[in-house]
Amino acid sequence: MLETIQMEYYLILSAVLFTIGTIGVLTRRNAIIIFMSLELMLNAVNLSLVAFSSYYGDSAGQIFVFFIMALAAAEAAVGLAIILSLFRLKKTVYVDEVNIFKW
Amino acid sequence: MFEQDIINKFVTNVGESIQLMQPEVALLITFVLALVFDLIFKKTRSIAGYVAILGFIVTGFLLCTADSANAGGFAQMVAIDPFSNFFKLIILLASLIVVVMSLFSKELYTESRTLGEYYSLIAGMTLAMFLLSSSNNLIMMYLSIEMMSLSSYVLAGYTKEIKRASEASLKYVIYGAISSGIMIYGISLIFGLTGTLNLYEINSFLANADINLWALLVPTLMIIAGIGYKISIVPFHFWTPDVYEGAPVTITALLSVASKAAGFAMLIRFIKVGFVDSMFGGDFWAVLHLDWQHIIALLSVLTMTLGNLVALWQTNVKRLLAYSSIAHAGYMLMGLTVMNDAGVAAVLIYFFVYLFMNLGAFFFVLLIANKTGSEDIEDYQGLGYKAPAISVCMVIFLVSLTGLPPTAGFIGKLYIFTALLQNPDFIWLAVVGVINSVISLAFYVKVFRNMYLRKVDEAKETFKFSIPSIVLMFALAIPTLLFGIYFSPIVNWAEQSVGIFLR
Amino acid sequence: MLTNFGIILLFFIIGFIFVGISIAAASLIRPHKPNPIKNATYECGEVALGSPWIRFNTRFYVIALVFLIFDVEIVLLFPWAVVFKGLGWYAFAAMLVFFFILTLGLVYDWGKGYLDWEKPNPIVPVLSDLIDGKK
Repeated sequence: MLETIQMEYYLILSAVLFTIGTIGVLTRRNAIIIFMSLELMLNAVNLSLVAFSSYYGDSAGQIFVFFIMALAAAEAAVGLAIILSLFRLKKTVYVDEVNIFKW
Repeated sequence: MFEQDIINKFVTNVGESIQLMQPEVALLITFVLALVFDLIFKKTRSIAGYVAILGFIVTGFLLCTADSANAGGFAQMVAIDPFSNFFKLIILLASLIVVVMSLFSKELYTESRTLGEYYSLIAGMTLAMFLLSSSNNLIMMYLSIEMMSLSSYVLAGYTKEIKRASEASLKYVIYGAISSGIMIYGISLIFGLTGTLNLYEINSFLANADINLWALLVPTLMIIAGIGYKISIVPFHFWTPDVYEGAPVTITALLSVASKAAGFAMLIRFIKVGFVDSMFGGDFWAVLHLDWQHIIALLSVLTMTLGNLVALWQTNVKRLLAYSSIAHAGYMLMGLTVMNDAGVAAVLIYFFVYLFMNLGAFFFVLLIANKTGSEDIEDYQGLGYKAPAISVCMVIFLVSLTGLPPTAGFIGKLYIFTALLQNPDFIWLAVVGVINSVISLAFYVKVFRNMYLRKVDEAKETFKFSIPSIVLMFALAIPTLLFGIYFSPIVNWAEQSVGIFLR
Repeated sequence: MLTNFGIILLFFIIGFIFVGISIAAASLIRPHKPNPIKNATYECGEVALGSPWIRFNTRFYVIALVFLIFDVEIVLLFPWAVVFKGLGWYAFAAMLVFFFILTLGLVYDWGKGYLDWEKPNPIVPVLSDLIDGKK
């Protein structure tokens, strides 16, 4: 009889990944690295959804993961396209150099 | 065979659901046709816009003639009910008006190469908002929020030759991606807590379970953050002024009305279907576990106070209207605070009124920007004499946004305060609301003062506007006045539309 | 009795042993005759010039973006393929609609010329400008 890995471990790993992603988003200045951190956040969510899905034996969570993966790609595509158009104008991808608007 | 039965049942269900969702199908066809026509007729730049207008009219026809169904489609993924139909009509009207506005926009026609994507993305965004206002499942909610956001990210930076549009769009996409990431983390935790993604099943789980309050509060607040981002309530509002200022005026108008309406529809449905005990019928909402009333009240106070206070020292009219729209989201949350059907009806009334006055104000900004190329409040000096007809309309919109009689804005606020005063616990909130309305008067008057009382002598030239644009302006101004005097049809309609489909 | 963690540990150990044995065996068997050409980055190709840290042309991104969409759309095909046999023509029609919309996007990009490789347009200095001191 195999002792399975407990649910908490998946959740803790997922929370740690999510936190790393969030810290990356908050501290990095390069827009492309910000998007990489965002992907990390989404993957943390995927991990916890798959873990819950196998815990409940309900495939809805895994279907959700498929959609999140597809949407993450779409979001990255749109994000990169926007970064690209900004780069053509300002020749920078650093978000702190993007500062026309103030309060 | 057993499996074959399930599959046959599934196919039948999808067929029936598509019957229910004819307006959405029409919007999808509009989206595709707008792209195809733009490819075929390359010479006519506005062709996709005309296709979109036609498609929206067909959609509106399907929406109005559909028998008032109250049903769930696609295995309870979406709900077709009077509540979603009300919001769909508001969203559709807003999109239609925005498409017509775009045809007049000089900014769009000079600063971008093609407009095919622009119009078809508006159609796609409308489709997403339709789905959002009737989604009943957290997967559906996430997908439609993302579909709406992705279209709006692109639209916000559409005039990509202008630096500020690109910058607005970048800020929008980064903040948006973070908030949606937080939201799905919340969704995944809710899934872990309740074992389901369907709002009805979440509700029945919550009704019978004994749950750790913190375990429920954290994921719920995460989901509220995601929705709150879309409707720009205060701790999640940072993107609003920048994006509203940088985006093309038409898109600002669309974001401030349509996407806000869709977000509110989702927020109300999320709370009502997910967290209200269905055992208690009638007007009274027995909220499960969480103290929603105080959460929403707190958000509401923060939202309207910050929106109004910061608006006081804005010099760009678009930015001023952005803060004003934040404040309006706060007023609408006030209606939700009471957590009963009268409160929701008040929010619906407010949205209907807000549609006309806010779109009208943005249309004025657009027309003036066409002539002067500026959105700065200093450049509005003497406009009351340079452009008398549309300035009168703008005054009507400003009065209505402040919420003074005899305009429709007054009716919207009146119903919200009436709903609020029924509950003695929330009189303090009503007082805060009134104080905020008074503050808001200050910056609306600032616009008025610049238009009518400054540098009047220098106003020699007069601006000429095309007849269709003036017709559209009056088409927005007349309802704003009319519904301030004759409002019983909207009130009746809104009160009939609070019915949310509960399995 | 093994726990799941034990299996993972075993997996690690076997992995290390396998790689270790292969490397050790290779270093015992192979002849050792280095020379400068053999040590070059591309042993049988071009001579590497300049720094690898150059910026790629941003136009590559556009191709990458289009690829990304078509790449990830496959993820949605997997669940479809699993139930395809049972659903029959219905599933086929549904997927055709999906593909039609997706392909329309590509056709649109193509038709509008977003996939064209824009040649850079270098500014050639003109003698008269140089004399006037404009540059």
